[in-house]
Amino acid sequence: MLAMYQNVFPFLLQGLWQTFVISMLAIFFGSLVGAFVGLGRARGNRWTVRGFGAYVHMLRGTPFLVQIYIVYFVLPTTNLAVFQLTSFQAAVIALSLYTSTYVAEIVSAAIEAVPRGQNEAAQAHGFNGFQTLWYVVLPQSFKMMMPPMGGVYVLVIKNTAVLSVIGVTELVREANVSIQRFPSFILSVFLLVALMYFCYCYPVLRLTRWAEKKWGGLHLNV
Amino acid sequence: MQNGQHFIEIENVSKSFRLPGGGVVNAVKDVTNYISRGEVLVIIGPSGSGKSTLLRTINGLESYDEGQIVIDGVDLGHAHTDMNLLRAQVGMVFQHFNLFLHKTALMNVVMPQTVVLKRSRSEAERTARELLERVGIADRADNYPSQLSGGQQQRVAIARALAMNPKVMLFDEATSALDPETVGGVLELMAELASEGMTMVVVTHEMGFARRVAHRMIFMDAGEIVEEGAPEHFFTNPRNERTQRFLREIL
Ligand SMILES: Nc1ncnc2c1ncn2[C@@H]1O[C@H](COP(=O)(O)OP(=O)(O)OP(=O)(O)O)[C@@H](O)[C@H]1O
Ligand SMILES: [Mg+2]
Repeated sequence: MLAMYQNVFPFLLQGLWQTFVISMLAIFFGSLVGAFVGLGRARGNRWTVRGFGAYVHMLRGTPFLVQIYIVYFVLPTTNLAVFQLTSFQAAVIALSLYTSTYVAEIVSAAIEAVPRGQNEAAQAHGFNGFQTLWYVVLPQSFKMMMPPMGGVYVLVIKNTAVLSVIGVTELVREANVSIQRFPSFILSVFLLVALMYFCYCYPVLRLTRWAEKKWGGLHLNV
Repeated sequence: MQNGQHFIEIENVSKSFRLPGGGVVNAVKDVTNYISRGEVLVIIGPSGSGKSTLLRTINGLESYDEGQIVIDGVDLGHAHTDMNLLRAQVGMVFQHFNLFLHKTALMNVVMPQTVVLKRSRSEAERTARELLERVGIADRADNYPSQLSGGQQQRVAIARALAMNPKVMLFDEATSALDPETVGGVLELMAELASEGMTMVVVTHEMGFARRVAHRMIFMDAGEIVEEGAPEHFFTNPRNERTQRFLREIL
């Protein structure tokens, strides 16, 4: 048991750290891009609505595994310098794009869920489009976004496991390597890996619950 | 000839909506009307006759296809007209109040002042408290809309519109969604505003209010003004057959 800890645990921790870094970057960039795309779908002109709609449907209609292959193996064949990515870079990019589609759907749905009367009241009092969005619509949609956002972030964290296929040394990859060295540890290693994922995901869910509560003072009838 | 004479000029205004199925609804058809400063105009008519649409074109919530609307010398159809500024000066009270759900009663009245008129927070708050006092719900200033009755919410909405110092107030069935026992109070408040000289355009089914407060009434049907006149005229000898039928049904 002690041998296992000494030989395996440090590697698993390293993998967990990698998983943490990649998922946090993907959550950050994915949320940024997703908020932009979601806004463009809910409030943009004809072209952003269509263009961003196509973006979301295309990415959601294909498996993440295929997307990561395309970013890491297919794009470099164009021989363009920008597409010569390390596996870490490819992982962050692919996972950010994946995250952004889910965030975009949540953001646009939450904006559209704010009653039309709220928009009209703001408009009738002289708010311009930006002021309406900033002072009236977004504060109300924010609370609605929180619970599904927590779900997506957990989904993203769990999806980092797929990244082992392009050689990213995240948690699952480290676990596999450890088992090849110490096959008898297979059960305890994967129990430990599952526990690590849980210890990471659960606080994320709690955090979004907390954020929802914090803005629960909104007294919305929704 | 009429140009420049009237506070609000509505000339040959038409508005149609294209329906998803491909049909077209002519919601407002060639409406012309002139409203003077301090006048209280009451619009009546059956459901779907275009009352709301006409009202909403007056503050630019709805665009119009043809004609011209001029408010206090400002042409709504002119490309350089600042529509946000205009809407700030034309108060609108909705059937369903539409208070900002994430703000207290006080902040509902404060926010448009700070955001649109750029008033300081303290000045806006002073104005808001005065107005909430005036509409009779100063004690509920810190309540959210969901904690207020319909009548109370509508009072806040009226205070919110008044805080912008509007040139004219538009009311679209402001009491239709209220419990019967709160209707009277809100109508009373509207009558008070009228007696203070506020220019008002009021869409309502409250004939008692119309009779008592209106300076002039118009009856709309199928997008057109069918009949126009003083309240006495409407309630004693309406000329048009459609007006007669409508009043018979509603009274
Ligand atoms: N946004 C819209 N899109 C399509 N049709 C509309 C729209 N708004 C109004 N209409 C149609 O225009 C016509 C006039 O509607 P409007 O709401 O002005 O009537 P109203 O007199 O206010 O009726 P009510 O008493 O029921 O409020 C109706 O036939 C309505 O269905
Ligand atoms: Mg109406």
